[in-house]
Amino acid sequence: MKGGWFRVYTLAYLVFLYAPIALLPIFAFNNATTVAFPLEGFTAKWFAKLWEEPELHRALRNSLIIACSSSVLATTLGIFASRASTRYRFPGKAGLMGMIMLPLVLPEIILAVALLAVMLGIGMPLSLFTVILGHVLVCTPFSIAILSAAFQSLDQSLEEAAYDLGETPISAFRLIILPLVMPGIISSLLITFTISLDEFIMAFFLAGNENTLPVYIFGQFRFPQNVPVILALGTILVCLSIALLATAEYFRRRGIAKTGGKDTGGFL
Amino acid sequence: MKPTARGRFRGSEAANGLAMISPTAIYALLLLAAPLAMIFAYSFMTDGYLQIIPRLQLCNYFGPCHSYKIVDGVMTEAQTYNGVWTDPLAKALMLRSLIISLVVTATTVLLAFPVAYFVSFHVSPSKKSLWLFLITIPFWTSYLIRVFLWKVILGTGGVINTGLMELGIIHEPISWLLYNANSVVITLAHAYAPFAILPIFVALEKIDRSLLEAGRDLGESPFMTFERVTLPLAMPGVISSVLIVFIPTIGDYVTPLLVGGPEGRMVANLIELSYKKLDNYPLGSAIAISSMGIVVAVSLLFLFLNRRFLKGNKA
Amino acid sequence: MTFSAEKSNMIEFKDVHKYYGDYHALRGITATIKAGEFFSLLGPSGCGKTTLLRTIAGFEGISSGAVMIDGKNMEGVPANQRPTNMVFQSYAIFPHLTVEQNVGFGLRKDPRSKAEKAAAVAEALEMVGLKGYGARAAHALSGGQRQRVALARALILKPKVLLLDEPLSALDKKMREQMQVELIKLQRQVGITFILVTHDQEEALVMSDRIAVMFDGQIAQLADPETLYRRPNSKQVADFIGTMNFLPAQILAEAEGRVEVEAQGFGRISLTADQVSMAPAGANPAIGFRPETLTILFDGQQPQDRESMATVEEVVYYGDMTYYDIKLDGTTAPMRLSMRNVFGRPVLDIGTRARVAWSPGALVLFR
Repeated sequence: MKGGWFRVYTLAYLVFLYAPIALLPIFAFNNATTVAFPLEGFTAKWFAKLWEEPELHRALRNSLIIACSSSVLATTLGIFASRASTRYRFPGKAGLMGMIMLPLVLPEIILAVALLAVMLGIGMPLSLFTVILGHVLVCTPFSIAILSAAFQSLDQSLEEAAYDLGETPISAFRLIILPLVMPGIISSLLITFTISLDEFIMAFFLAGNENTLPVYIFGQFRFPQNVPVILALGTILVCLSIALLATAEYFRRRGIAKTGGKDTGGFL
Repeated sequence: MKPTARGRFRGSEAANGLAMISPTAIYALLLLAAPLAMIFAYSFMTDGYLQIIPRLQLCNYFGPCHSYKIVDGVMTEAQTYNGVWTDPLAKALMLRSLIISLVVTATTVLLAFPVAYFVSFHVSPSKKSLWLFLITIPFWTSYLIRVFLWKVILGTGGVINTGLMELGIIHEPISWLLYNANSVVITLAHAYAPFAILPIFVALEKIDRSLLEAGRDLGESPFMTFERVTLPLAMPGVISSVLIVFIPTIGDYVTPLLVGGPEGRMVANLIELSYKKLDNYPLGSAIAISSMGIVVAVSLLFLFLNRRFLKGNKA
Repeated sequence: MTFSAEKSNMIEFKDVHKYYGDYHALRGITATIKAGEFFSLLGPSGCGKTTLLRTIAGFEGISSGAVMIDGKNMEGVPANQRPTNMVFQSYAIFPHLTVEQNVGFGLRKDPRSKAEKAAAVAEALEMVGLKGYGARAAHALSGGQRQRVALARALILKPKVLLLDEPLSALDKKMREQMQVELIKLQRQVGITFILVTHDQEEALVMSDRIAVMFDGQIAQLADPETLYRRPNSKQVADFIGTMNFLPAQILAEAEGRVEVEAQGFGRISLTADQVSMAPAGANPAIGFRPETLTILFDGQQPQDRESMATVEEVVYYGDMTYYDIKLDGTTAPMRLSMRNVFGRPVLDIGTRARVAWSPGALVLFR
């Protein structure tokens, strides 16, 4: 067998990675309010309860508004930055890119309190909008990481060939570059959507009186009787995330195949 | 030669690039650099209940500090508190955060290395992205739910305890599983696993396989080849994964709150407390800036050690 | 091939300078390329040949001077409005389009009807030998096919000048030689000015009407292939194009268009003025000659002109040719000599003494 002990180890590692997630559906369908063995039998009532929570629906609606806006804005900003960094040489590039990518390695709590301080300092009321501002900041570096790969695999002479054949910079972008990086853009939209939907700290600090899905879930942790409902919600969210990711991965790979590049794997 | 024409060329590419990056850069400047600068400034100001008094002082970092209330335009002293580096609680939390995140980092990276090694060296190229996809999936599923699941798993009435009792292995719940530093370490190590694997994998992928064959050809054992060729070349990846795990974990908020219990609290919880509950922005900012300082110092130390390591290896 | 005066100037470079920051990439290029000419820019990598080509296409601005195409100054004219088209080194075939869509890409704003455009595309594909490939996906093509698509895509627009940036460098040797011949034929057929950038001296000699040899951002020599090969104007050019042997020489006298030289191994010889290169003064003078201009004499053969004695130091057998390194009596360094192999004639062994025939007319003096 190829890999021998490394394969055994890796499989054990994957079990460790997936074990908690595997418990989600088990206890979401378990007919008991406590999460404990032995199992008490099958029920779908926790899922049914999700329909009876108006607060949850409001939080979900808020989260969707935030995730849609943030993913579109972050991807737009990501297109500008990754195009600039892969295509042009200019002074201060490393510094500017470093600053833009900084949220990737900064403890989120610091970003959150800094934004909170600024919002209160300039007197901007906390709302969904302030959460969007924060999420765009967090999502943009991920978008850039995905899009840079897409722009990088573009041969610059493709663009020159389009100019040479009579196109203007704008029509060359529309006819050549955009179609070729489109899979990367879709992949970036899906990933940033997933990140925003899942983001807790920024929303916790910046949402004011509004709830987002993670903030709502966090609030429910205080009520032990609601645990199975949260697990049911978690099951749905995990399925949704996996579906979004699989789609994103599909588009990312198709983009690489389209431009004839080599798959280096992974989003990061 | 006309210097103006020369300047014109340089100007045009540089100008295009700067124009292209400007929306993103301006966004980051306004919503990242400016806020960070602002809390830096706050950390030197004076707390005046629900407002910041622009009176510069160092006491948020060192020494007893006073907060004020302004009643009818008169500043009256309201409270006395300790600066970050003179407050035993803050110091203890920062130290604990540092230790916990160092332990998490070491555990995560050590456990991750063989996985990255396996995927890079023993998986056929066409299947690599599938393996990576499998490894990354848990990372993208709700962080909050994953942390909460650990609470459910490790608790006294939780999955492990009830499972083990059901099997008759134990008769009383093990209480030390949850609400301490251990549970924080386990949860964080689980949460940041994919973060640690990817940079190491990328570094391993870059290694020219003929170098390893050359090592063997020159009469080295597989282990020697690993130690003298693979490991030094993988070191940049190991350092990136160390940093990429260490930096966010030291500032983690959710995990210590949910599974840490009183003895597992970390510095992020203190920052939140100062900002949200105490409304003491100068103190909260001073804590945030101090922990950022620790992050930067430790990161630089890692980078320095790495350079030393690589130099020593060459000699 | 010679060019008569009625051929008009297609490209004119007038003291073109180009800086990248502090790097001086083009240092005063002045040259003229005639209409209908197959012109090559030849030089080692980094000599500025591709940069010069890109100033014609409009992808690079120039720092000073002027680039004229068909009598018009191109300053401020963007690439998409110049009467030139380019075949890129990487071919730059649009991977998301079919062969047809690639070839017809430049016809987007053409007022002709769809059917007429389709006919033009089919015609262009036939011209490059890709009839019937129109519906194929571009990313499924081989290197040679991509090359042809790139050619068709450029030629369909009937440019005044076709620019070729190392178009053959990605092909294997056989394919390259085949494409060289096809490109020459194609150029004669369409009559468009072709400008080829290459670092391969053989390719330039085979294909071009005229060649500009470039070093360090300057044109070292601009001439037809035969002149370049037989009368290189500097040691650098001589070294870059083919092999050239050098022997130290001393100039004795110059008078009435002739130069008297005392050369190691050759003795005293008299050269005509056109045998003297323009290389900068002050360099150590040397006599240069190509490997094939020296011939080993076998028993009984008589030299047509002059004869020297030499010792064989190294033998390299190539099948149709044999290369000898020989040391002429009275010299210190071995010289490369090439002989076509003839059936029944032995290949000499190392250490053999040999008679060598040569002619003063084949020598070049580098002063």
